[in-house]
Amino acid sequence: MTPHTSVTADEATVLADLTGLLARLMEDEYGLDDLVIGPRTTFNRDLELESIDLVTLAGLLQERYGDRVNFAEFLAGMEFDEIIELTVGRLVEYVVASLKAAEAS
Amino acid sequence: MAMVDTGAVRLHVQRIGPRDGRPATATLVLVHGLLTDSLASYYFTVAPAFAAAGLDVVMYDLRGHGRSERPADGYTLDDGVDDLEALLDRLAVTGPVHLVGNSYGGTVAFGYAARHPERAASVTLIESEPATPAWAVKLGGILDRVVTQLAHNETDAIAWITAHRGHNTARLARGAARLARDTTLGRDIPASRVLTEEQITAVRCPVLGVYGGDSDLAELAPWLEALLPDCRTVVLAGHEHSVLVEAAPAVGDQVLALVREAERAGAERAGAERTGAEVR
Repeated sequence: MTPHTSVTADEATVLADLTGLLARLMEDEYGLDDLVIGPRTTFNRDLELESIDLVTLAGLLQERYGDRVNFAEFLAGMEFDEIIELTVGRLVEYVVASLKAAEAS
Repeated sequence: MAMVDTGAVRLHVQRIGPRDGRPATATLVLVHGLLTDSLASYYFTVAPAFAAAGLDVVMYDLRGHGRSERPADGYTLDDGVDDLEALLDRLAVTGPVHLVGNSYGGTVAFGYAARHPERAASVTLIESEPATPAWAVKLGGILDRVVTQLAHNETDAIAWITAHRGHNTARLARGAARLARDTTLGRDIPASRVLTEEQITAVRCPVLGVYGGDSDLAELAPWLEALLPDCRTVVLAGHEHSVLVEAAPAVGDQVLALVREAERAGAERAGAERTGAEVR
């Protein structure tokens, strides 16, 4: 799938993208529209996302970045404790690295 | 997010395949367990490796679970098999499929194979069993505890779970309590029509049973092997009922080995039939 807009692989842009996607998810699924989301925000403790919410997030990432970012593979490579501790900042790093790898190839 | 309307219910479906554009070699259908489970248990564990191995991977949330619609009723095992049948029909999956089911999802997957033996290329039961009278009694006991203790005395039950099992388990338990309270699931599943021995042994495709060594269900392994025409079981030491998530790489390897064997055997049979036809 081709993303709708061009994508910049710098951390600030990706962080803004991801906080936007997460804000949309939290509003659609939980009706929450006043969350402050930053790099240190954890998916589990802070946002209280369930694993099925992460499947929805994977779909949003696919829409935004196409096949260059594979969230399912990223999580499949993690231990359970790492997933519990996963932060928005860690996902930003992964997305940036994936986009750079795709640019280089 | 892909929603598929089966005519009876709207189901949330995720389908992934080989990323390099190769045509998939076979279709694998993954069915999750009851109450606290969803397709996420596959999506973030074994599914990416299955797709990378060249398979067309279909995952869906059972009715009432995950992102699927939650009708107030229709939760017997037959309803579950009807949903799976209608879903594959809507997805135009016509050939035999490899079925994988975790816990109750395995009972649904086996129910589909028993109803349509010709459409099952293989079945993997992870911490699971076919629907027998003993199974219905056991599920009745478990669901009775969920409904009476959790759904009807939620505040106390959740406080206990938070203190003894932690915040995440408590959150899952709240979801399970909602499902038990909002639907007839707790009554429907134990009241399900179970399979006769004849229906169970009509499943002649290769069947794999995967169990956690510390799970009560591991004792089913010898029974299953003796009962079914083509069955082997694997017991993974040091794991309990959540062996799929805890030991995903090992479980995934077992499933892939079964699928490859079944596909090879199927191709050899087809080849032999062709040769036979030519000789005639």
